[in-house]
Amino acid sequence: VKFAYYPGCSARSTCAELNEATHLVAARLGLDLLQLDSATCTGARELRAIDPVGFFTLNVRILALAEREGLPLMTICNTCTLNVLDAHAAFLDDPDLAATINARLAEEGLRYSGRTRISHFLWVLYEDIGEARLRMLVKRPLSGLTVAAFYGCHITRPPQRYKFVDSRNNLALERLAEILGCRPIDYSGRTECCGFHTAAHDERIAIKLTGEHIQSAKAKGATTMVTPCPLCHTVLDGFQREIERDVGKVLDMPVLHLPQLVGLALGLTPRQLRIDRHMVKFDPRATIG
Amino acid sequence: VVSDTLLPGEARQLGRRENHDTLAARNTRLTAGDPITVRVRRADGLAEFHVPYRKWMRVLDALNWIAENAASDLAYRWFCGSKMCGTCAVRVNGREVLACWEAVEPDMTIEPLRNLPVVRDLIVDRAPYERKVAELEPWLERPRPYESFPEPLSHRQMKNASKALDCIGCMCCYSACPVISLGNLTDFAGPAPIVQLGQTALDPRNDATKVARSLKLTGIFNCISCYKCEEVCPASIPIVSGVIEPLKAKAAALVPEMARHSMALRSIVATRGYVDPSALVLRLRGITALLDLPRALRLLVRRKIDPVKTFWKRKTPASDAAARYLGREHQP
Repeated sequence: VKFAYYPGCSARSTCAELNEATHLVAARLGLDLLQLDSATCTGARELRAIDPVGFFTLNVRILALAEREGLPLMTICNTCTLNVLDAHAAFLDDPDLAATINARLAEEGLRYSGRTRISHFLWVLYEDIGEARLRMLVKRPLSGLTVAAFYGCHITRPPQRYKFVDSRNNLALERLAEILGCRPIDYSGRTECCGFHTAAHDERIAIKLTGEHIQSAKAKGATTMVTPCPLCHTVLDGFQREIERDVGKVLDMPVLHLPQLVGLALGLTPRQLRIDRHMVKFDPRATIG
Repeated sequence: VVSDTLLPGEARQLGRRENHDTLAARNTRLTAGDPITVRVRRADGLAEFHVPYRKWMRVLDALNWIAENAASDLAYRWFCGSKMCGTCAVRVNGREVLACWEAVEPDMTIEPLRNLPVVRDLIVDRAPYERKVAELEPWLERPRPYESFPEPLSHRQMKNASKALDCIGCMCCYSACPVISLGNLTDFAGPAPIVQLGQTALDPRNDATKVARSLKLTGIFNCISCYKCEEVCPASIPIVSGVIEPLKAKAAALVPEMARHSMALRSIVATRGYVDPSALVLRLRGITALLDLPRALRLLVRRKIDPVKTFWKRKTPASDAAARYLGREHQP
């Protein structure tokens, strides 16, 4: 299966290991990725708030780039995923907006007709690879790992995009963890917010909120956390030292990107998956039951 | 393609059906006469009751049954019973709902809303919310007299304000908000007061000076965009995308110093095409960002920061595209 691939800003800077791991794992899964190098940032939460037209233009442009290649779009970041989903919905909902954006994109010879299928890597595993094939590809079941799945927000809320009455019912990551041979656990932070989006101007919210989530995961026996979002990863892993200082406890909770967890089960080494770039050390011996 | 793959769109909803998170599943889970276990948070802990299920039974019906048959001193609020007065909000199994609009569950724990002082049992004190709303001056003040009658006003201009006007002030969102749960850590006013403000602040006829004064009291840029509020809103108001974000846009125009973070991110994207997190942090915190040297070194060792990239802006196809669409002539 071939995808137009949009890594986003975080996977090309702070979480560069995610981009490397995704390419490796995709190759093992038989996914052919065409990275959209001329794609811009989707605008995070900031651009969409203060400059809606700019926001929609950049996002529809990404969708148009995929459409030009005739490929579905694969994302690996929650916030990017929601941004392109929202832009796609607004494009279909508002013909005036659609016309304005297409007129601007025409400068570059681009045009969007509303046909690009958008899929996060997590959904690609279920919808394009499939559970049976994934089970076949698992070379090294991760029976030693007790995993706390951390969904984050934008992959399961708002309800008008994902149709959950209560997003805590989302099971996609836990089921995947089982397929890969790990033991998933239930804890209070599963679908809570890491607080990333205000962290650039004030880290305190992120530190306080995420401190509770990691402590809850630890209390329920998790030995590793996994997240489908590099922004959540930045807080969970990158801020963990500051969180430890805030809660006055050693947490020492390794946090994996979703493709890294899949990669470990497919037989790739932590080094290949660049887990050594994380702030909290991950002990590969922990994967063996 | 193997036949066990899910259909496009199904994976993002995994768990909905499995956990009976659909209306159809909820309505078939109980039949008349089934016992429901209800635990209610009271001053002395959780009190357990067994309520016989009646067809179409709501959480409010269960509370009424308890008050009539088991605990006449149970304190809870309700008035209209039809999703209009906004007084009966409680938390059922950890989720904020209107007692009058929620089907009972076979096993449920009913608690008062969070983030507000409890008066007794399920009744909370709404005073903190009401004080904040009054402070925000949520009314329409015209800078000029009426120009004509009827006033020209389009649906498009009122799109967001009219959604905010659906608010019944039930406090579900206020209880669900994680930033509010952190107490006075930030100056964030919380979703409910901000929606109340949005009803008039998003009205194009309102006086900009007054709106600016109100916005300064909201701490609106401390919203973390988690959508917890939207998830529980019984009126289905798009609180983040339809109220908070349009108000942020207003703040960026009227009180630019509030929107420093958003404007810095925009200008970084406009020149680089993507966000360099270090550049953003440096722009927002200035030299103080460098003061925590041990942290910077730790990040550097793991190559989480890349000073070369941060200080040396490269021209790329992405930066060209961003300049084209966010450049000077496209300032909002």
